[in-house]
Amino acid sequence: MNILLVLIPVSLVFLLIAIGIFIWALRNKQFENLESAALDILASETEAGDETKNDGNKNDAG
Amino acid sequence: MNAAVNDVGIKARETENCLCFHCGQTIADQAVLENIHGKLQSFCCTGCSAATLWIDDAGLSDYYKLRTEQAPQADAAKVDLSAWDHPDTLTQHSRFRDGYDDIIISVQGMHCAACAWLIDRALSKQKGVSEVSVNAVTGRLHLRWQQSATPLSQLISCLQRLGYRAFLTQGSQLEKSRAQEKRTLLLRIGLAALVAMQTMMFAEALYLDTTNEMSVWTRDMFRWLCFVTATPVVFYSGMPFIRGMLRELKQKALGMDVLAASSILLAYFGSFYQTLVGGQHVWYDAAVMFVLFLLVARYLEYQTRQAAYEQSDALARAQPYLAQVIRADQQMAIPVAELKPGDTLCINPGETVSADGILLNDAASFDESLLTGEARPVTKSKGDFILAGSIGSLHSARLEVTQTGRDTQLSQLLYRVELAQLKKSGVLHYAERIARYFVVGILLTTILVYGFWSLMGSTHAFEIALAVLVVSCPCALALALPAAFASAQSALAKIGVLSFSNDNLVKLAKVDTFIFDKTGTLTQGKITRTDDHYFTEDKNHALAIACALEKNSLHPLASAFPEATNLQANNVRLIPGKGICGFVDQKEYRIGSADFAANAVDDGRLWLGDGERALASFSLNDNMRADAKTTVSALQDAGLQIHLLSGDAAVTVDAFANDVGISHSAARQNPDQKQAYLKALQSEGHSIAMIGDGINDALVLASADVSIAMGSGAAIAQRSADMIICGEKLDRLLAARAIAIKTQAIIRQNLGWALLYNLVGIPVTAMGFIHPGFAALGMVTSSLLVSVNALRLRKVSVSQ
Repeated sequence: MNILLVLIPVSLVFLLIAIGIFIWALRNKQFENLESAALDILASETEAGDETKNDGNKNDAG
Repeated sequence: MNAAVNDVGIKARETENCLCFHCGQTIADQAVLENIHGKLQSFCCTGCSAATLWIDDAGLSDYYKLRTEQAPQADAAKVDLSAWDHPDTLTQHSRFRDGYDDIIISVQGMHCAACAWLIDRALSKQKGVSEVSVNAVTGRLHLRWQQSATPLSQLISCLQRLGYRAFLTQGSQLEKSRAQEKRTLLLRIGLAALVAMQTMMFAEALYLDTTNEMSVWTRDMFRWLCFVTATPVVFYSGMPFIRGMLRELKQKALGMDVLAASSILLAYFGSFYQTLVGGQHVWYDAAVMFVLFLLVARYLEYQTRQAAYEQSDALARAQPYLAQVIRADQQMAIPVAELKPGDTLCINPGETVSADGILLNDAASFDESLLTGEARPVTKSKGDFILAGSIGSLHSARLEVTQTGRDTQLSQLLYRVELAQLKKSGVLHYAERIARYFVVGILLTTILVYGFWSLMGSTHAFEIALAVLVVSCPCALALALPAAFASAQSALAKIGVLSFSNDNLVKLAKVDTFIFDKTGTLTQGKITRTDDHYFTEDKNHALAIACALEKNSLHPLASAFPEATNLQANNVRLIPGKGICGFVDQKEYRIGSADFAANAVDDGRLWLGDGERALASFSLNDNMRADAKTTVSALQDAGLQIHLLSGDAAVTVDAFANDVGISHSAARQNPDQKQAYLKALQSEGHSIAMIGDGINDALVLASADVSIAMGSGAAIAQRSADMIICGEKLDRLLAARAIAIKTQAIIRQNLGWALLYNLVGIPVTAMGFIHPGFAALGMVTSSLLVSVNALRLRKVSVSQ
C-alpha cells in the first residue's frame, strides 16, 4: 500500500496542473466564443498569406 | 402588369416565389439580377445584391456555404455615420491603449455562427484593425483598431453594407462586469468538474472496499483526502447556492437555494462528522457531484438568459447620435443631451427625431410606424406636432423643439411600461412555490425522524436522519425544474426564441388566446403596390408618369413605385392630405386620393389622373409575412383564440384580418386602448400571449401574461416583452409553444418521479432499513434519470 503515498500526491499535482491550465485558458478568453472558431477550418484557404498576417496581428494584440 | 414592368424597369424581371440569394426573403415584385460566379442570382433589393458582390469581392463567399440561417436584409440606403468618429463618441465608449482603440459594439442581425465568421473576416481585412472578436450568441463585437488608419465609421459602414446594424453598448464597465461574471461562473464549473472527479476517485476506493478489508488507517486517509478535495468545491464552486440560501433565509422565503445548499452542506458536514468519529460512511462525493450538476444546469440557463438580455438591451440600442441644430444661423452637430426647447432641429431622411417638436416646413412626411403602428409614412404640415421616435422620410425637415429628454411623450410611455412590468413581477415564481412546499416537508420529516430515533435511544439517529435527507433526493427535486428549464431554454435558443425567465415557459403552455399586432408583426412593415387598374390603353406610360411623380417626391408612398423611368416630372408640389401634382411633358398630372386626382369618390385607393379623368388606380399594401397565414391557422387548429389589434385604419385592418383568417380584430387602437382590450379579455379569465413589435405595443406587451416581441422591432417593445423571436420567423411561435408544453410535461414527470421515489424511499429509510451508501446510490440514479429526461426536450422538432 506504500505505493499510494507516492501515487496520491502525484495525482494531486496533476490535478493542480489541470486547474492551472484551465485558469490560464479562461484568462486568455478561450471560452469567450465557442461558435465561430469551429467554422474557420471549413473555409477554403484561398488567401493563406493574408490570413497568417492577420493571425499574427491578433497574437500581437492578445 | 408584366409588360409594364419590362418597359419601366431597367434591371427588373418578374419573379414568382423566388427567394433572395442573400437574405432569403420572398421577392415581392421584381428581382435585382446580378452575376455571381457566372451564375445569374436574383436579389430582393440592391442592398442585398451589393452585399453579395462585396462578400464575393472580398473572397468570403464561403459564408454562403457555412451559414445555417439566412442573412439579414441589407440596406442600400446611405446613412450618415460620421457621428461614430466624433471625439465625444470615442472618448465615452472606447478605450485608447498602446496606439489602438478598444470598443465593444452591439450588432443586430447576427443569426448564426457564420455571421460571426463573416464579420470577423470582413473587418480583419481592413487596414489598422488588430483584433476582432465576434460573439453571435450575445451579439457583441469587440474591436481593436487604429482610428488614424481606418476611421470607425468606415468599419461600421462595412457592417451595414453586409446588412448588420451597429449600436453602442451601455458602457464598457457593465460589459466588463458581465464578462467577469461569466468567467467566474465558468471557473466555478471547471474547478468543480476537475476536483469532483478526483474526489470521486478517492471515494471509489472506499466504495470498492465492500468487505471492510481496508485498514482503518487507509480508510481514514482516503476520507481526509476526500475532505480536502471536496472543501474548495463546496465552498468556492458551491458559493452561489450558499449565498442564495442565506438570502432566502434572511427574507424568510424558502426556495430552491435552501434545498440545494442545505443538502450540499449536510452531506459535507455529515461526512466530516463521520470522518472525525470514524463512522460508517461518508458522502463527500455526493456533495461535490451535486454542486457540479447544479452549476451546469445553472450555467446553461444563465447563458440563454444572458443572450436574451444582451440581444434586447434597450439602452444598448443607442446610436452615437448627434442632433443637427441651427444656432445663430449656423448648422452644427450637438449631442442629443444638449438639445433645449426652442432649438431648431434638422432631420434628414432616415434620421430619428430626438425630441418632440413643431414642424417648421410647409410639409414633410414622417415614418411613425414604431410609435403608432401606422405602416405608411404620415404627411405632416406646418405647425403639426412631431413626436420623438418618428423617423424622417424622403426629405429633410426642420422642427422647433418643444420637449426634450424625459419630457417627450416617448419617455412618458417608457415610464408607464416600467410601471406595468413592476406589477407583473409581483407574481410568485412557479418553481419557488413548488420548492417551498417540498423543502418544508423534507426538512420537517428529517427533524421528526431524528427526534423519533433519539427518543427511542438509538445511537444511529443522526445516520438515519442523514440517510432520510440523502434518500429524499433533494437532487432530483432540485434538479427536476432547473434541468428541464435549462434544456428548454437551449432548445428555444436553437430555434431563435430568447426567453427572459423560466416562468414564461410555464405561462406560455397555459395560454389560450393569442393577440397579434399587425404592422411589423404579421406584416413586414414595408409598403408595396398591388392590384393596378388602368383606364388607358398605354399602361406603361401611365405607370411611368406615376413613377416620375413619386420619384424624389415628398409623398410618403414613393417606396411603392420603385421602377426607374426616363420621364421627368417638373414643378412637383405636395398638397397635404390630398396627394401630389406636377408636370410631365408639359401636362399636369395628379396622384393621390380619388377626389383630388380624378374627381371621383374617395375609395381608399391611390389614383392617378389629370384632375378630371383617371388614368390608373393602385392598391397599396403592407406585405403579409410569408408564414403569417400558416402560423395563425395552425394556432387556430390547436384550439386557440386569435385576435388582431392594430393602429392602422379600419378598412386596412378588416381586409387584412379577413386575409389571414382572424375573426376578432380592432383597428385604430392606441396603446391605452390596446391595453384595455387585453385587460377585458383577461378579466373574462383568458390567459393571453401578446405578439408585437412597436413602441405602441410596449404597454400591452408589459401587461400580457406572456409577451413576445419581434427581434426586428423597437427596443422598447423588446424590453417590455418576456420573449423575443429573432430572425423574422413567425412559425417559431408554434415551435416555442410546443417546447413550452413539452417542458410542462417533463416537469410533471420529473416531479412525479421525485415524489414517488420519496414516498417509497423516505418511509423505508426512516425505519432504518437503508444504509446511507445505498441511499446515496439511489439519489445519484434518481438525479441522472431526471437530467436525462430533461434532455429529451432538446429533441422537440421545429416543424411542429
